[in-house]
Amino acid sequence: MRWRHPVFVCLISALSLVPAASEEAGVSVRDAWVRETPPGVTMMAGYMELRNNTSRSQVLLAASSSGFDRVMIHRTVVKDGMAGMAHASQIELAPSASFIFAPGGYHLMLMNPRRTLRAGDPLVINLEFRGGLVLPVAFQVRK
Amino acid sequence: MHKISLKFSIIITTVALTAMLAGVWLAEIYREHDSRAMLLPDQVMTLFPEPKPLEAFALTDHKNQAFDLASLKGKWSFLFFGFTHCPDVCPTTLAVLARAHENIAKNAVGAEDIQFVFISVDPNRDTASKLRQYVDYFDKTFLGVTGDNAQIGNLAGQLGAAYEVAITPGMENYPVFHATAVFLLDPRARYHAVFTPPHDAAAISKRFKVVRELEAGNMT
Repeated sequence: MRWRHPVFVCLISALSLVPAASEEAGVSVRDAWVRETPPGVTMMAGYMELRNNTSRSQVLLAASSSGFDRVMIHRTVVKDGMAGMAHASQIELAPSASFIFAPGGYHLMLMNPRRTLRAGDPLVINLEFRGGLVLPVAFQVRK
Repeated sequence: MHKISLKFSIIITTVALTAMLAGVWLAEIYREHDSRAMLLPDQVMTLFPEPKPLEAFALTDHKNQAFDLASLKGKWSFLFFGFTHCPDVCPTTLAVLARAHENIAKNAVGAEDIQFVFISVDPNRDTASKLRQYVDYFDKTFLGVTGDNAQIGNLAGQLGAAYEVAITPGMENYPVFHATAVFLLDPRARYHAVFTPPHDAAAISKRFKVVRELEAGNMT
């Protein structure tokens, strides 16, 4: 088999180093946003798309932000025609997998904002992963 | 020659008239069929063949005015049950309804005969002033309504809108469960249709346009 030729084996090994090098990026986040809410509202939700760029599974354990008293990982669950909230203790991302936090599904529950957030305000939420990785993520406040 | 030509023209005229009438009749059938075909079967909305007249209920709106059976008369009402401490489903749905309202208002018929009502199932935390602040943010015309548990249960029960408030002593953020559907009541205060999630503003306003046209046809 030509593909077993030592030259090809070397070439493939070299190419496989490319994704290994980007493992430093670990987990990337896309389209992170928070819905602007009416004044006085104590509960908000954060949405985003997480992507595991590594060949190992990554586990989101917690989140925090100086903008809120507390941030929790939640999921909206619909049972018997009723929507409710379920706490998720962690989110496991398989190697190279994506995970979407979106309205009606998983979201970061943002409790007691320190001030009313308006569209365009800066907001950073820190995502904490198993192994000590802490990813500060800029969330866009949207109307 | 002259006789034949007259006979011929009579036949032609008859055929032409018949064809025109058939065309009008077919267009009517098609129009009706087409508008109904838009509605059935449908993932967005369930239209009831026999709208269900609602019975008396008593709630209070965010202006401290009575919201009861009489408040529904003469208007199409979109009802949604929720609570203001709801981070995900409620703001998402109310934002969709505000956009649906904008779409409907752009329509030739307008939105004068429409109201949107957010019914809080959590009167313990959702006072009139809190509700006002909340619904005003999404749309100045939205009504925030609540009552005691029996009053909310009465209307919710008539619509089959399940909810549960799990008040726990000492727990600030107790869980609240509520229906995700949007209920459509007609100007005769009848439960007319229900929209099921995921809600989409364009889909809701399009369905509503057809429902309103069909109902206007039924009334005349």
